[in-house]
Amino acid sequence: MILPDYYEFCCRVKIVAGHDALEKIPALLAEMGSKKPLIITDKGVAAAGLVDIVVNALKEGVTIGGVADNVPPDSDLKVVNQLAGLYRDNACDAIIAVGGGSVMDTAKGVNIVVSENATDLMAFSGAGALNRRLKTLVAVPTTAGTGSEVTLVAVIKDHEKHLKMAFTSYFLLPSVSILDSRMTMTMPPFITAMTGMDALSHAVEGYYCLQKNPLSDAHSLAAVNMIHQYLPSVTKNPADKDGRLAMAVSACLAGISFSNSMVGIVHNLGHATGSVCGVPHGICMAILLPYGLEYNMHKRGETIAELLLPMAGEEVYRKTPKAERAEKVVSLIRQMNQDLNEITGGRHARYFSEVKDRDGKQMVPREILPEIAKAALLDGATIYNPEDQDYEENLLVLEAAWEGKPLDRNKIKKG
Amino acid sequence: MREIHAGGKPLKKAYVAIFLWFTGRAIQAAAKVDKEVQKEFAALPDDFTFALGCLPNGPWMVVGKEKGKVKYFGGNLKCRPVHLRLVIKSLDAAFLILSFQESTALATTRNRLMTDGEVPYALSVIRILDIVEVYLLPKLIASLAVKRYPSWWSFSRKLAGRVGVYTRTLLGF
Repeated sequence: MILPDYYEFCCRVKIVAGHDALEKIPALLAEMGSKKPLIITDKGVAAAGLVDIVVNALKEGVTIGGVADNVPPDSDLKVVNQLAGLYRDNACDAIIAVGGGSVMDTAKGVNIVVSENATDLMAFSGAGALNRRLKTLVAVPTTAGTGSEVTLVAVIKDHEKHLKMAFTSYFLLPSVSILDSRMTMTMPPFITAMTGMDALSHAVEGYYCLQKNPLSDAHSLAAVNMIHQYLPSVTKNPADKDGRLAMAVSACLAGISFSNSMVGIVHNLGHATGSVCGVPHGICMAILLPYGLEYNMHKRGETIAELLLPMAGEEVYRKTPKAERAEKVVSLIRQMNQDLNEITGGRHARYFSEVKDRDGKQMVPREILPEIAKAALLDGATIYNPEDQDYEENLLVLEAAWEGKPLDRNKIKKG
Repeated sequence: MREIHAGGKPLKKAYVAIFLWFTGRAIQAAAKVDKEVQKEFAALPDDFTFALGCLPNGPWMVVGKEKGKVKYFGGNLKCRPVHLRLVIKSLDAAFLILSFQESTALATTRNRLMTDGEVPYALSVIRILDIVEVYLLPKLIASLAVKRYPSWWSFSRKLAGRVGVYTRTLLGF
């Protein structure tokens, strides 16, 4: 285990998990002195009936100030301002965010505006611009992957000015996160698969990247163990309540890990692929994760090998020679992608050449890989990757991930 | 009861100030000598300016582009608008980084180095600083300062670059 000379770790979110955790919200709001929450969500979540479940769990114990379901797939500054107006007009005193990353980010943006009585959200962008507690924010994630219910970041887009504003502060951490199995029960198998692999990428990258520490490690190891055990089974059997709750908890554990230890090349190339080709984040993570491990193997082989125990259990770990454990971790992750591909009838892509849009059109044409490799040079996750990356190496990894071939590690430049 | 004031450590402050002065001039020199540094600066906006320094009271190094040329503007943060600040949280942390006991990447992971500005700009500047450090320092020390020492660079690139960067830095052109 790597013991850094110095590190920082913070997770001050109260986490409530269970098959009936939503029913606890009124008591939690009362504890924090809040009486009238505004529910923020998106149309997809509302159409899936998830907001109704939340409202039913709340309505006997609390007055709901309003339900706003107009959060777009990408957060939007205009929507943040409009929802802040709604919050004020209805005299709300807390926010309940029900949804995925965009809903969480929007809710955090609204919370800045209403807590700081701000007119210009931009004034609070960057790190360290917030210096006091915000209003009560309850996060109810509806996917088991992003971990945004325990992260301190919000990204809000100003579509008019084509700006993407990032906000980072411990004050953006939700007051409470509710992990309730009912919120993910209706997730289709291919979304369950890709969001689960997103969580695995957080846990694994959090375990080998430069800012790792013993506290983030503990969260990563627990997450890896649960995801490997539950993701294939819950994708196969979506009605598995216990499996759903286990995945929600795993994603939360992985979120705590990576928000403290940060992430590396998998996210770096994944963000670039997402922005150039519009491939969903979870798909990018699933495809790139084995390559991230291979890329860093010469620097982090022993660390990666430690993941075999939580993934495969004691017997496999003991029987695998020490020198082969890291490779075994990579092959187990590839096997997970293969299993998920079969369970989802081919919808879970294993390589970039397999990723198709709704019309069956290839989303990542081979000739666009140089553009992605170039875009990755602008993404900050590279800072935390153990090995340095340049354009040629980004392209090397992307080409291997496009073809589905193992990475030729001899081509990685050594210092 | 006596008050204990922040500050002091004049020797460390002098070391950091001299290092930043020398590095600022070396960046200006490297922009004339090394193609990779030229490429990085070419991708940045025309009047791009960045500062590297430490809290709470400096010292600072300000480098930027002016009329197509890269210039070291000295240590005054207010000399022109700054697009990016790489902020080291304390003089002690600056000493650790600038005496090569800690690489830029490690300093970031230990929350000693903050970015105030756009991340893509910061990544460009870090790549430039890495190249300059490789020219200025012997391999043994440069390997501690950068994430990966570029062993694949040709001997002629290293030699010509070093001679060019040192000469221009010392003579200031």
